[in-house]
Amino acid sequence: MNILVLCTDAFGGHGGIALFNRDLTEALARMPERGEIVVLPRVIRNAVRGVPEGVTFVEAAARGQFAYARELTRAKRRTRFDLVICSHINLLPLARIAANDPLLVTYGIEAWRPRRRSSNALLHHCRGIVAISEITRSRLVSWSKYAGPTFILPNAVRADQYGIRLKRRDLVERYKLEGKRVVMTLGRIDWSERYKGFDEIIEILAQLPNDVVYLIAGGGTDVQRIQRKAIACGVGNRVRFTGIFADDEKADLYNLADVYAMPSRGEGFGFVILEAIASGVPVIVSKHDGGREAVLDGKLGTLVDPSNPAEIRTAIADALEFGERKVPEGLDYFGIERFNDRVHAIVRSFVQ
Amino acid sequence: MCGIAALFAYAADAPPVNREEIERINARMVPRGPDDGGVWVSDDERLALAARRLAIIDLSAEGSQPLRGVEGDATIVFNGEIYNHRELRARLEKRGAQFHSRSDTEVVLQMYRHYGADCVGLLRGMYGFAIWDERERRLFVARDPYGIKPLYFADDGKTFRCASTVKALLAGGAISPARDPAGAAGFLMLGSVPEPFTIVKDIRAVEAGTCFFVNGTGRHDASCHYSIAGVFRHAREQQTIANLTTPEILLREFVTESIDQHLVSDVPVGVFLSAGIDSTTVAALAAARSSEPLRTITILFDAFRDREFNETRDAALVAESLGTTHTTRVVSREEFLADLPRIFDAMDQPTIDGVNTWFVSKAAAEQRLKVALSGIGGDELFGSYPAFRKVPQIRRIARIPLVTKLLRHPKARAIRHLGGTDAGAYFLTRGLFLPEEIDAGAFDVVKHIQKVFDVDPGTDFGRVATLEASLYMRNQLLRDTDWASMAHSVEVRTPLIGGWLLRQLAPLLLSQGARCKQFFALSPERPLPSVVRDRRKTGFQTPLGEWLDLPPDGTSTRMRSWARRVLEEFA
Repeated sequence: MNILVLCTDAFGGHGGIALFNRDLTEALARMPERGEIVVLPRVIRNAVRGVPEGVTFVEAAARGQFAYARELTRAKRRTRFDLVICSHINLLPLARIAANDPLLVTYGIEAWRPRRRSSNALLHHCRGIVAISEITRSRLVSWSKYAGPTFILPNAVRADQYGIRLKRRDLVERYKLEGKRVVMTLGRIDWSERYKGFDEIIEILAQLPNDVVYLIAGGGTDVQRIQRKAIACGVGNRVRFTGIFADDEKADLYNLADVYAMPSRGEGFGFVILEAIASGVPVIVSKHDGGREAVLDGKLGTLVDPSNPAEIRTAIADALEFGERKVPEGLDYFGIERFNDRVHAIVRSFVQ
Repeated sequence: MCGIAALFAYAADAPPVNREEIERINARMVPRGPDDGGVWVSDDERLALAARRLAIIDLSAEGSQPLRGVEGDATIVFNGEIYNHRELRARLEKRGAQFHSRSDTEVVLQMYRHYGADCVGLLRGMYGFAIWDERERRLFVARDPYGIKPLYFADDGKTFRCASTVKALLAGGAISPARDPAGAAGFLMLGSVPEPFTIVKDIRAVEAGTCFFVNGTGRHDASCHYSIAGVFRHAREQQTIANLTTPEILLREFVTESIDQHLVSDVPVGVFLSAGIDSTTVAALAAARSSEPLRTITILFDAFRDREFNETRDAALVAESLGTTHTTRVVSREEFLADLPRIFDAMDQPTIDGVNTWFVSKAAAEQRLKVALSGIGGDELFGSYPAFRKVPQIRRIARIPLVTKLLRHPKARAIRHLGGTDAGAYFLTRGLFLPEEIDAGAFDVVKHIQKVFDVDPGTDFGRVATLEASLYMRNQLLRDTDWASMAHSVEVRTPLIGGWLLRQLAPLLLSQGARCKQFFALSPERPLPSVVRDRRKTGFQTPLGEWLDLPPDGTSTRMRSWARRVLEEFA
């Protein structure tokens, strides 16, 4: 079985969608009945590493829109694909070059409301839609009235890459965390993504004990506004920013946290939540977006209403007082093996 | 849903609490809670708690009140429903809390034991309650964000008294029934007594969204745990959230969740159905999600049989399309006149409204319903009252002196001196009598209205929504719904009113304004019949002018005459 994957980024990419696409590609590569697997990325930001054996990762496709169309046309001429997976709704018009009925993968807010008219129309030609969470699936189906088959494929986490570790001394010193209890959120701090819950935590920080600091891991265009807000709320000296950090520091950053809190409203799933759980950090996430599914409806963490400051505050205070560092039972639901099984089942439902 | 009362002789020189007084108070509230009743007086006779119970969640005796915690260090009397009680119970159990009942009342008690006054920020529902904290020897008193459930108090500097109704407190016999001029003036000007005033000088309302302690030195720490104006102000910074998904989807998700919560009951739930968008949409969502066939009730005042106010035909059409068991209850003039003395007896404070709710609740009780959903609050939430348009208009007109001088109507002429502020413009939109038409005394109505803005909501929509929710809805709609339904031992639930729902929808309301009503109408999976969607808004009117032959008063409904008549009853 030959499969073509069109994606925004994967190997050499950064962030949750790139990671999902790498996992998806690896899962496809593990299918015993697989033939040729070709992956076309729109963007490559870093050095390409870890492409699985048997996968053709067409780096030339990332050189621009025309290059992408050219490589797509070439791939189509060269191979007869049994399945075309379109890993972003915005790529649907390009996917038409390769197939009239691709399998679409959706993640979060990009699928929560109609976007480009061309993509919306093409949606109905898809042979199926994969969503990383029920909230994304239901919202997409709700506005689009898509009537074809849909699947839920949540993110996977490689728990062995995380785990409970001692707080790294150099990081404690770098972020001035000595003697402090740390509430942490990791994510892009972008003006267009003001739904991750940074503001909500800053607003209640003054009501938490003085030894509690808020560590925001990540960088972006909205950092200065958040800094100003923290000062306005009287907690400027209690908020720490890591800025953009190296990937190999991520597991240690999670281990700086006593509580991971993300009272967000726009997360399609919230892969970072799984990483925090895998690091044995008590997590507090939103009831009103994909975070709810990442903690299995409260089984792996505490749910809060992001619009209710009292809920966020008391949940953090409870976690600081009663929470313990452990990896909860049930995280294997998001294990890589389960992810592979889900991918294989979805693919086999279309290609025998 | 219940009636509750507490007496606390907090001052060292206060006489002991009187068991007979609290029993009289409790007896006045029997219709609020016909299923059970109880009084508890502390051994030292400094505290007495009482409750009448309408059993809806946990019908067993374990849910009886006053309810003492497993630990024996706190006792609660609670009126209302907590819709997230199961979630809170799970949270408390993780902290080691123990329960001896399934009731939401015990959850509130344990929430207080674990979180203190912070507990009110975590409750989702309608409530007024008092908790005696034995450890700290203090009483904790709280009321829900919108004031859906009533709670009144009197504090003479030695003894603190509170109860669910003004008339129950008076029935105790320890409080002077002297009328409050501010309450009476407020009623004539606004059509209902504006909180915190009551019609009785020595009784005040526990303000909505607030809580306080009473200890050996009196009342302390009155704090606001919910601010409607504050929610709208905060929502201005959250516009990106409103755009994450389509308005229809966002509305459907949150309204559906609210309906689900309001359907939680151990007894059957019905719906008050008119032909308006709010009640039909609530009925459609409830019918789709209820595990049992839904019962719907519509009333028809026979004076309206051949007029546009007759909603029964369209309501029956809706009921048929939803597959509900529907009842149309006709109310005649004779029945109204026969019920009028009982209506005045049940009416806790003067109001120009409530008669319609009296009869629809009566019809529900005849159907042996204990719980009914109502669509009230939809117009305030979705900005569909004329005030949302008129208040900004009046403010603009008030800036043109020449125009205001030319206006003839007394209210229009008043635009010049009252219309320059939101509070004044709102009064001119909603007001019944102008201050100069009555003996207003020292009561400054505009100043009073202005107080609802603890912060500036920041937008016209937010300001008018705050005014509507804090004045007309709280003082009239909700209060009338409470006394008129409780008189028939029916709990009316309002899925479109609640602190939780407003917080979720506020960014969307600011971004979409009155269009939200259309999106709300699209919430049910099966579209509403076109007769409902296209129907002109008529309101839930009552033919009082005709039935009582009230003298003309310059209004089409003769509500000013009715107001004078009502006030005479409270003389």
